[in-house]
Amino acid sequence: MSKVDPEKLMVKAEKLTKLSFTRWTADWKSAVVLYEQAANEFRATRNDEKAKIAFEKASKCHEMISQPWDAAKHLESAGSLAKQLGEWNEVLDFFRRASELYSECGRAQPASDALAKGARLLAEVNPEEAIRLFNDACAILEEDGKEQMAFDLYRDATEVYIKLERYTDAASLLLRWGLAADHCKAVNSQCKAYLGAILVYLYTHDFKQAEKCYNDCSQIDAFLSSDQGRCSSKLLAAYEEGDAEEIKRICLSSAISHLDHMIIRLARKLPTGDLTSLRAKDAEEEALDEDDLT
Amino acid sequence: MSVIDILTRVDAICKKYDKYDVEKQRDLNVSGDDAFARLFTDVENDIEAALQKADQASKEKNRASVVALNAEIRRTKARLLEEVPKLQRLALKKVVGIPKEELAARNDLVLALPERIQAIPDGTATAAKKTSSSTVSRMGLKIDSTSDGRFESEYFEQTEQSSQFRQEYEMRKIKQDQGLDAIAEGLDTLKNMAHDMNEELDRQVPLMDEIDTKVDKAASDLKNTNVRLKETVNQLRSSRNFCIDIILLCIILGIAFCLKR
Repeated sequence: MSKVDPEKLMVKAEKLTKLSFTRWTADWKSAVVLYEQAANEFRATRNDEKAKIAFEKASKCHEMISQPWDAAKHLESAGSLAKQLGEWNEVLDFFRRASELYSECGRAQPASDALAKGARLLAEVNPEEAIRLFNDACAILEEDGKEQMAFDLYRDATEVYIKLERYTDAASLLLRWGLAADHCKAVNSQCKAYLGAILVYLYTHDFKQAEKCYNDCSQIDAFLSSDQGRCSSKLLAAYEEGDAEEIKRICLSSAISHLDHMIIRLARKLPTGDLTSLRAKDAEEEALDEDDLT
Repeated sequence: MSVIDILTRVDAICKKYDKYDVEKQRDLNVSGDDAFARLFTDVENDIEAALQKADQASKEKNRASVVALNAEIRRTKARLLEEVPKLQRLALKKVVGIPKEELAARNDLVLALPERIQAIPDGTATAAKKTSSSTVSRMGLKIDSTSDGRFESEYFEQTEQSSQFRQEYEMRKIKQDQGLDAIAEGLDTLKNMAHDMNEELDRQVPLMDEIDTKVDKAASDLKNTNVRLKETVNQLRSSRNFCIDIILLCIILGIAFCLKR
């Protein structure tokens, strides 16, 4: 087949879809073929702008002939091209729409995959949106009962949170991760998620929260009797005693070295802040208690 | 030289050359037929020699020669002890020309022999004492290594050894601990990896089941399609229909040709 000018193809396809006096119904099927061809040609010649437009139009045609799967696929391609062009709003729109189309097909996994892809592309530029996309993706999978697939998403979302230094959000996300792991009986991941949450709380120097978190997690037998549980109890004990050397030693131990690298980075920076202040606070509280008793 | 010395020297020389003393030999020859008497005198002479050697050993300054003499004495003693049962058997034999009392006396003599032989000093007694004391001190060595601070003067030499030993033991223990720590870390990593692999496989099981059903369906569809296609192609290929088609075609062409002409 000879090389046809993609511009010409685009024009032809346009004509097919435009309603006019002589044309009462648009011929989506043939139009879509032309649009696809044109888009491929544009992509080959690195004409991203035109290729993106062609893909968009092709996907619209697919929608019209109720082929949501193909439509979604084209939207994804359009989205990646938009990212190369740096049009972030369009990226967001395209991937959201693609995910909706996949859900229409009844396929949850590709839907969440589309959202995750969009989120990863946006992570650097628009992290807030990225987080929202990640959350939605996790929600889709959880609804469908496929929590195990969500682990990667949780990990990426936690990374974004930590980059944004929103540590409480990161910790709550880790706890959600632990919950998802609990649903699918992934004990190791669950314990690692809980240990990660405790570490994040300690990194923010919020010892009370960390303790509360540890107490909550200890309700779960699996965590209590696991390596990670033991490690966290030792860490909290070291914090109470104010022994910085001990904390550093624990953070170099194997239980922590097997967590995700961003959490290891936080752990290596422990202890943050002043340990004696924690002890002073405890002493004050004790004094108050004595007063209350007498 | 004193008189006593002369006397002893004369005695020794006489003893040495007794075998050339004819009268004495005649006396001995009376008992020459008597095997017991012969053997008994031999044994007595050997005992005497051994005792002399023991005397010499106790006076010796050179420890090596003492050891050698003691060894010889012990060999002699062992040999003599072997002879004793022979003597006993001979003593019980009845010999012509010897009264009954003498026979009884011989038996007693033979019985007394083993004691006399054992009494010969051969240095093992003192050696036994020495070894017992050294074993005691070795026991002390063991006690030293477990409970510190028994620095008695007799055991002082051993505690130097024991402290060296203890140091080496500590060093080896530390090295072993380091090695075990490394092994523990490696095992932790392996455990973590194994857990992760376990979870990953659990994740993939339902996916594989889905793939399984889908592929089964596709395979059965393909089979159906193949069968139907085979039937269709067979129908088309049936040679009878083909020949009829060709013949009819030729007839039509012929008719058209004729019509054209």
